Amino acid sequence: MKAITKVARDEWRFWHRTKLAATIIVIGTILTIASAVINTIKMQEAMHERQHLQQSSEAQFLDQPDRHPHRMVHYGHYVFRTPSTLSIIEPGVDAFTGTAVFLEGHRQNSAMFAEQRQASGMTRFSSLTPSFLLQVLVPLFIILIGYGSVTREKEAGTINIMVTQGFNVWYLILGKYIALVACALLMLLPLIVAAIWATFNGESALITSSFVSGYIFYILVWSGIVLAVSTLSSKNSTSFASLVAIWIMLCILIPRIGSSSAAALAPTAGKLEADFSVLEELRKLGDGHNATDPAFEQLKKNLLVKYNVDSVEDLPINFRGTVAQYSEEKLTIVLNQFAEKRMIEELSQAKIARQLGWLTPTTALRSFSMTVSGTSLETHHRFLREAEQLRYDFVQSLNNAHQNILSYQADINRHKDNAAARVSADNWQVLSSFSFKPDTAQTRLTRSLVYGGQLLFWLVVVLVVLRFAVRRVR
Amino acid sequence: MQEEIIAASSLCVRLNNQTILDNVNFNVAKGEIFALLGGNGAGKSTTLKTLLGIVPPSEGSAAVMNKSVKTDIDFIRSKVAYLPESVMLYGHLTGVENIEYFLSLADITCSESDIERALVRVALQEKAWRQPMSNYSKGMRQKAAIALALLRDAPILFLDEPTSGLDPNAIDEFNQLIATLAAEGTTVFMVTHDVYGACQIAHRIGLLDHGKVVGMFERGDQSHINTEEVHSAFSKRNKR
Repeated sequence: MKAITKVARDEWRFWHRTKLAATIIVIGTILTIASAVINTIKMQEAMHERQHLQQSSEAQFLDQPDRHPHRMVHYGHYVFRTPSTLSIIEPGVDAFTGTAVFLEGHRQNSAMFAEQRQASGMTRFSSLTPSFLLQVLVPLFIILIGYGSVTREKEAGTINIMVTQGFNVWYLILGKYIALVACALLMLLPLIVAAIWATFNGESALITSSFVSGYIFYILVWSGIVLAVSTLSSKNSTSFASLVAIWIMLCILIPRIGSSSAAALAPTAGKLEADFSVLEELRKLGDGHNATDPAFEQLKKNLLVKYNVDSVEDLPINFRGTVAQYSEEKLTIVLNQFAEKRMIEELSQAKIARQLGWLTPTTALRSFSMTVSGTSLETHHRFLREAEQLRYDFVQSLNNAHQNILSYQADINRHKDNAAARVSADNWQVLSSFSFKPDTAQTRLTRSLVYGGQLLFWLVVVLVVLRFAVRRVR
Repeated sequence: MQEEIIAASSLCVRLNNQTILDNVNFNVAKGEIFALLGGNGAGKSTTLKTLLGIVPPSEGSAAVMNKSVKTDIDFIRSKVAYLPESVMLYGHLTGVENIEYFLSLADITCSESDIERALVRVALQEKAWRQPMSNYSKGMRQKAAIALALLRDAPILFLDEPTSGLDPNAIDEFNQLIATLAAEGTTVFMVTHDVYGACQIAHRIGLLDHGKVVGMFERGDQSHINTEEVHSAFSKRNKR
């Protein structure tokens, strides 16, 4: 153990004296800190802005004057997905999926305000989120620091002196591994600080510690890869070239291939195509604005029988309101079927892409990081489902007011006497306040187990390769 | 009879279906300077690597201090100080730091004054002691490496082409140092292609050609081995 620490300390001394490694560590740490600070400010602003917009949207809805209930159905309401506390490090799908949904009758609108949808192609590369830095750039920094760890000893012949002194090469590699891991962990400091901050801001300690552990595993894996390649190579240049090739493959190509092949293996219908299919199905249900639509003939007959009257004018309820309610129920079933199908397709694409975590630790960490932080696609889908439930509830409550409070006569004469075709603004109180919360710690941890397993698998593979590499040094 | 420190008996080494060492026999006594002389590809480095346990013998045996390289390599390595042709040590460390570091890896604790005494003994200039080794010449690096060997108390020195790249003064200094160490009981085994250098310093020379020991030359009562005789044998072999 003493010898291992001695090697580790000497490695640090080397990095300190050669300046290059020290510069890389400083640059890496500053970049991560800067990115974490900027993202924290951005996410905090987004959180406050969305909370504020949510409240003002609710207040605006409730402040509407007396009016026809169906106008309120179309006046609509906004819901906003407030970011999770850990999104200061891992924004996840936030930038791609949209964060607000406009809720109105007869429609399920897509989420809006996705940063990346409004950006040009090149802007994607400039959004240096802390998670991107930690997942993609930190491995490159580890390579720059450690590629020569063992090849340097080979080129200088010092490894031969050690071997022929009877010094165990495994101790040498372990010492260098500890030094490299400790050095790379410095770049995780902003993440650790952010995790502590998140814990004090209500995030579960189990979640934040798992989140940090995932990144520590990633550092252990990449430090191992760097050491193994350096041990297997005979020259600094070979080690560097091999590691850069591995970095390009593991951090850029395979994750990219993953998303492309997922789209090919589990294709989804395009937006236009999907919209047309929905429209086609909805047409069969009839127009809820038109009570004389033949699609509601059976409903009319049933009501006349039920209330034992001869015409809709004699019904104790507003038939137009009943049609609106009936139509909303039927079309929501169809809309939900399409929405669920789309979400299943999106999720199966995401799951295919995540399977590539067995081929690259970057995908493994990305999946782990997003699921644990509550910024994954599953969380976004839950937001859409909760938003839809809210939409359905308030639209049907307004339709209920339409049916039971507004008289049929006043309703059909609304163009002649608009004032009579209004209901009291008290009826707008049907809107439940919306506050989106991340999944429970247990749900997120259960969901991330497989990706944690992928990281563990990588660590085992890398340590086995490292052991094999050490055996080749005689 | 003097104590036998290094012995090769019917030693054969085959690598990739090629015979590198073919029935090699020699032995080196305590305090003796033995040079294995040969041209490129003669098998000198393979012999050294076999004695260091880096290349295993295919047949025959190789032993250091009566311990087989096959079974007791850790013991052998603890007794041997090896100086490769290009002794680099760590460029970012000073001479003293290098020695301190390598000793600590061998779990040997030495005070700074012990290290300084060893550096004086190998005649490394004092002003260089605390300079980064990247500023050292090859001769200075060799001296530092020998100081390390002294502090490790290694009774055997393995030298690979020790004088190549050294200026004449440095060669003289080096030869003197090796002779002193041998006189004090250190056994020196060197491989070289430098006929003149080997004749000057070695007590005995084994001429190696195509993996076979084809000649053995001794100093006898002379101050050094007859250079012409060795040179003639060496040239004859290398012209073939």
